[in-house]
Amino acid sequence: MPPRWLVFLALLATVAAVLPFTIVARVRATPDANRAVHIFQDMDFQAKFKTQTKNPLFADHRAMRPAVEGSVARGEVYADTHYWEGAVQGDWADGLPSQLQLTDAFIERGQQRFNIYCSACHGYSGYGDGIVNQRAMALMSNTNGPVMGTRWVAAKSLHDPLVREHRLGMLFNIATNGIRNMAGYQGQITTDDRWAIACYVQALQRSQNATTQDVPPELRKDLPLLK
Amino acid sequence: MSRFSFPRWSNLLLPVIILVGATMPLYAAYFVAYGFSPKTLDAGYQPTQPIPFSHALHAGQLGLDCRYCHIGVDRAASASIPVTQTCMNCHTTIRPESPKLAKLNESNLTGMPVEWTRVHKLPDFAFFNHAAHVTRGVGCATCHGRIDKMEVVYQFSPLSMGWCLECHREPVTNLRSPMDVTNMRLDPAKDLGIDEQTRLQARFQISPSENCTTCHR
Ligand code: HEC
Ligand code: HEC
Ligand code: HEC
Ligand code: HEC
Ligand code: HEC
Ligand code: HEC
Repeated sequence: MPPRWLVFLALLATVAAVLPFTIVARVRATPDANRAVHIFQDMDFQAKFKTQTKNPLFADHRAMRPAVEGSVARGEVYADTHYWEGAVQGDWADGLPSQLQLTDAFIERGQQRFNIYCSACHGYSGYGDGIVNQRAMALMSNTNGPVMGTRWVAAKSLHDPLVREHRLGMLFNIATNGIRNMAGYQGQITTDDRWAIACYVQALQRSQNATTQDVPPELRKDLPLLK
Repeated sequence: MSRFSFPRWSNLLLPVIILVGATMPLYAAYFVAYGFSPKTLDAGYQPTQPIPFSHALHAGQLGLDCRYCHIGVDRAASASIPVTQTCMNCHTTIRPESPKLAKLNESNLTGMPVEWTRVHKLPDFAFFNHAAHVTRGVGCATCHGRIDKMEVVYQFSPLSMGWCLECHREPVTNLRSPMDVTNMRLDPAKDLGIDEQTRLQARFQISPSENCTTCHR
């Protein structure tokens, strides 16, 4: 028989051989800040600026330069107030600007964009019951006063009689520039999509205030209440 | 004078030495493949951010759609990190005095951007495009994991060339409807099934390129 110490050493070596793998498995399972180990640098980091990177040469450190105030991009002539502002001769427009066509696909696009950008506060059906609104109202009704300076104003129900009176151009303008306590979404939503949202809001409003007359005659017999 | 003679048990050492000698290269190879793979060295990167912004709260509990903040994701190469104004849509009136939002308020006042630490970084010689994936039905969760459960974002995928190509060669099991790309709970392979996914691939004619110039340009 080999001496005890040698057997012990052999066992120890076997156990130690598992250790590196255990450490790696642990590293893989726990995210931390010391990753992206670049053993070979290759050309991983080149002297160029990519999207949203930092350039200390400029005072605001943005490598992507904001457009100079007053500059006009190619194709964006703001003279068409109907398309850009929703206004025709100083009054809110009633219909879509001539560039856009009212189709099913356009309304569906509006629905998708509404659900992304507006439903958080106004709710999917527009009653002002979105999750963010509920959360913020809870912060307002805290027993020791509003939490950390919260001063939330309830998101309006889009089926409020006053809101239902808004014309299409006005709804477009609200999506663009906001209104009172609501911020504008010009920076987040493209102009076409803001028009699509405005159309969808009107469709939503109509859906919640529909009458039998809105249903095509041949389908009316299927309405549960009229049977 | 007594001569040294090897004890009887030392005969046992020969097979042991041969065994160790034979497994050692294999052991080393396995260790390098496992320990030095991008899945160890790159995935799992989780830097601390200047503001304790939580996706688990905003995208998870509040259910905000990814596109509310990452506005470039379905129309440009870069998903883009939101500007301060996007946060201010809510935080001018929600918890404006919270110390956790001090840096955000400062950025809003001075006009200096918040300096978020980048999590995902492809090498500068590789090109990636979000819109090309997101509008064709590859969901955020496939590449970024369950962001809506992360308090602090970490890199879920290795982002190695092997990882890109694995999907470009066999995309079908990762496909979903382009309407559902930001749905975090949907697991396309389980919830849709291969038949539905094959239909999607045929309908949208999805055939990702394996040309070097697709990603190195
Ligand atoms: C961050 C929460 C929030 C989001 C997101 C939001 N709103 Fe609002 N909205 C409000 C609040 C709050 C008000 C009430 C403002 C007030 O009364 O001071 C409001 C009011 C309105 C009104 C009624 C204006 C009136 O005349 O009283 C309309 C219409 C409206 N929003 C449309 C939209 C549309 C369209 C979107 C998506 C582009 C949107 N909102 C997204 C919070 C939000
Ligand atoms: C309220 C705004 C907001 C929403 C909604 C949001 N994010 Fe983010 N996201 C951010 C901000 C701010 C950062 C930068 C700070 C950070 O990394 O945590 C970020 C970072 C990320 C990053 C890491 C970017 C990098 O630096 O590489 C990924 C990936 C990401 N978000 C994915 C998602 C996904 C997927 C969703 C939808 C489930 C989502 N985000 C929803 C604001 C948002
Ligand atoms: C659509 C509304 C909305 C947007 C946009 C938004 N947040 Fe929030 N945020 C909230 C709500 C609601 C809470 C939770 C308040 C609560 O219930 O405690 C919150 C909480 C927070 C908190 C925790 C504050 C505290 O004191 O615990 C931080 C930090 C924060 N947000 C950062 C950000 C940043 C950074 C952005 C921009 C990338 C952002 N938020 C965008 C609605 C929003
Ligand atoms: C096919 C895989 C894939 C999908 C799908 C994907 N991403 Fe990414 N994402 C990446 C890669 C790769 C990067 C790193 C890009 C780079 O470094 O240039 C990245 C980077 C980002 C960043 C950091 C900023 C940027 O654009 O570089 C954000 C934010 C982000 N992704 C959000 C999202 C969201 C939100 C979705 C879903 C709508 C999404 N991603 C879907 C692979 C993916
Ligand atoms: C989960 C699957 C998946 C992963 C991972 C993935 N891709 Fe893709 N990729 C696709 C699909 C699907 C398309 C769309 C193919 C089509 O339109 O027919 C695509 C398209 C592209 C395109 C656009 C090609 C064109 O014709 O314009 C580029 C560039 C690209 N991928 C780069 C990458 C890079 C770089 C990575 C790794 C960082 C990556 N992809 C990882 C599935 C994936
Ligand atoms: C689907 C996208 C994609 C395609 C197609 C692709 N690559 Fe790559 N390649 C990558 C990415 C992403 C990386 C960076 C991986 C990393 O982080 O190390 C990379 C890295 C590399 C590297 C550097 C490896 C290193 O560690 O320095 C070489 C060389 C390379 N690619 C060659 C090629 C060649 C040759 C082809 C054509 C046969 C090709 N690639 C096709 C995405 C791609």
